[in-house]
Amino acid sequence: MNVFKKVIPVLLVWGGMLLAFSGCEGVSGHQDVMELIKAADKPVESMKPTEALPSAPLVIVKEPYQGGPFYTQSRKSEIGRFQCSSCHTGKDVTINQAKEAAHGDIKLFHGAVDDPNACDTCHNLSDRDYLGTDSIAKIDFDHSYQLCGTCHFRQKKDWVGGAHGKRVQNWAGQRVVQNCTGCHNPHSPRFSKRWPATFSLPDSVLPDQEDEG
Amino acid sequence: MAANKKKTMNQKHDRRTFLKGAATCAAAGSALIASGCNNRPLPGGDDEMSVRWKEYFKKNYQLMTPEEKEATIRRLEQLSKLDYDVDASIARTEPRGKVLFGYAFNITRCEGFMDCVQACVEENNLDRKSKTQYVRVFEMENGQMDISTGNGKYFHEVPKEDHFYMGIQCFHCEQAPCIKACPTKATWMEPDGIVVVDYDWCIGCRYCMAACPYWGRRFNWHDPEVPKEEMNKKQHYLGNRMRKKGQMEKCTFCIQRTRNGKLPACAEACPTGARVFGNLLDPDSEIRFVLKNKKVFRMKEELGTDPKFWYFID
Repeated sequence: MNVFKKVIPVLLVWGGMLLAFSGCEGVSGHQDVMELIKAADKPVESMKPTEALPSAPLVIVKEPYQGGPFYTQSRKSEIGRFQCSSCHTGKDVTINQAKEAAHGDIKLFHGAVDDPNACDTCHNLSDRDYLGTDSIAKIDFDHSYQLCGTCHFRQKKDWVGGAHGKRVQNWAGQRVVQNCTGCHNPHSPRFSKRWPATFSLPDSVLPDQEDEG
Repeated sequence: MAANKKKTMNQKHDRRTFLKGAATCAAAGSALIASGCNNRPLPGGDDEMSVRWKEYFKKNYQLMTPEEKEATIRRLEQLSKLDYDVDASIARTEPRGKVLFGYAFNITRCEGFMDCVQACVEENNLDRKSKTQYVRVFEMENGQMDISTGNGKYFHEVPKEDHFYMGIQCFHCEQAPCIKACPTKATWMEPDGIVVVDYDWCIGCRYCMAACPYWGRRFNWHDPEVPKEEMNKKQHYLGNRMRKKGQMEKCTFCIQRTRNGKLPACAEACPTGARVFGNLLDPDSEIRFVLKNKKVFRMKEELGTDPKFWYFID
């Protein structure tokens, strides 16, 4: 009996300490991030951004993303001489120096090097106010992603989902993303080489690469 | 002679003399402080000395009541006018519920233009003198995965052939070693997952800098210098308000922007769309799409720091 009397309080104290310390886990942070992400499978109501987007014409994208409908920026409002059919009436353009005044300077760097695209790969020849070809579909300039996506279908899928391209200004609120031509020049879609905006790092804040490498 | 000498020795160590001397010194010291500093009046009727005094003896931000937070913000705005001649508006926007910030970086898309670094410097009032930068972009050889082999000081036309670019910044780890290392609880994780620093509670011991395996923290060896006309006036207590000499600072996911729904400055500035930012708890968000559909990895994941910053490839 005496032995038990001595052992029981010790056990109780020990158990109590175990409980106390196990309760301390995760004091510094949350639980595992991947667990948190897996647990969060219900749609959440997005907060409203305090700053509204700069007012630019938006169009609703014809394909919804996982969170429903979303918007992209209008392209037609960006094209200075839209509508194209005001010059391209179906007859030959006879305006003086039209080539210099309009878009005769465009050089195409799009497509394979040995088999580059032509104008009518993307532009509709029978209706100049549209992209696309008669054999595929007439595509509105505001919905150029439909045309780009016929070749770049992988990028388009990522763009709709959110892994390609970027949102305009806000991460929250109504989803508004840059359209393809917001970042890429359609006639020369690869970003050209240039100098970085700034240069990096004085020695004092660099990780000591010689020691580690 | 010997007795006299002994007497003076005793006097030297006499308690009363010591206390007298101490009191005189203290009086002289406070007089010196009072005369050495201009005790300028501040807008709102306070005077500089009392504001600085209250600022010096304030609590840790986490322990402040909302009223105390408001009071310190008002004092900091007054001092910003005095010290930098800038009418800063310092916010204390609280975290929203059901938000946990996460970041993904596309190493296929980044081409090393460094627009992100430039935007970050301007947004966060980083010291121009020592060229403090939160974001680092490393130029790496194709196939290489070890960031310590990267060139962090490249300055030539980019992108360079057979190279890719990898940006690092604070990864806002869920099990952040920097938080565990801090001896004064001057750094902690907010409920929305942002690791922040109470600059005024930091004693500048740099333990966190040593603890961070990602080189995510920066130390102020002198008072940061930002030209008045370039200073970002939209500030946050835990974000881009002006730091002082001897204080630690770091990327806060642009807390002054993201808590208002905006993208961090680096993500908004990126010309190639390599930077994805969003709410990890929203299953419809872009960041969740990346985690679900792309090949992702985290840097030094084996350390168990559980960073909320992923890299992905196309």
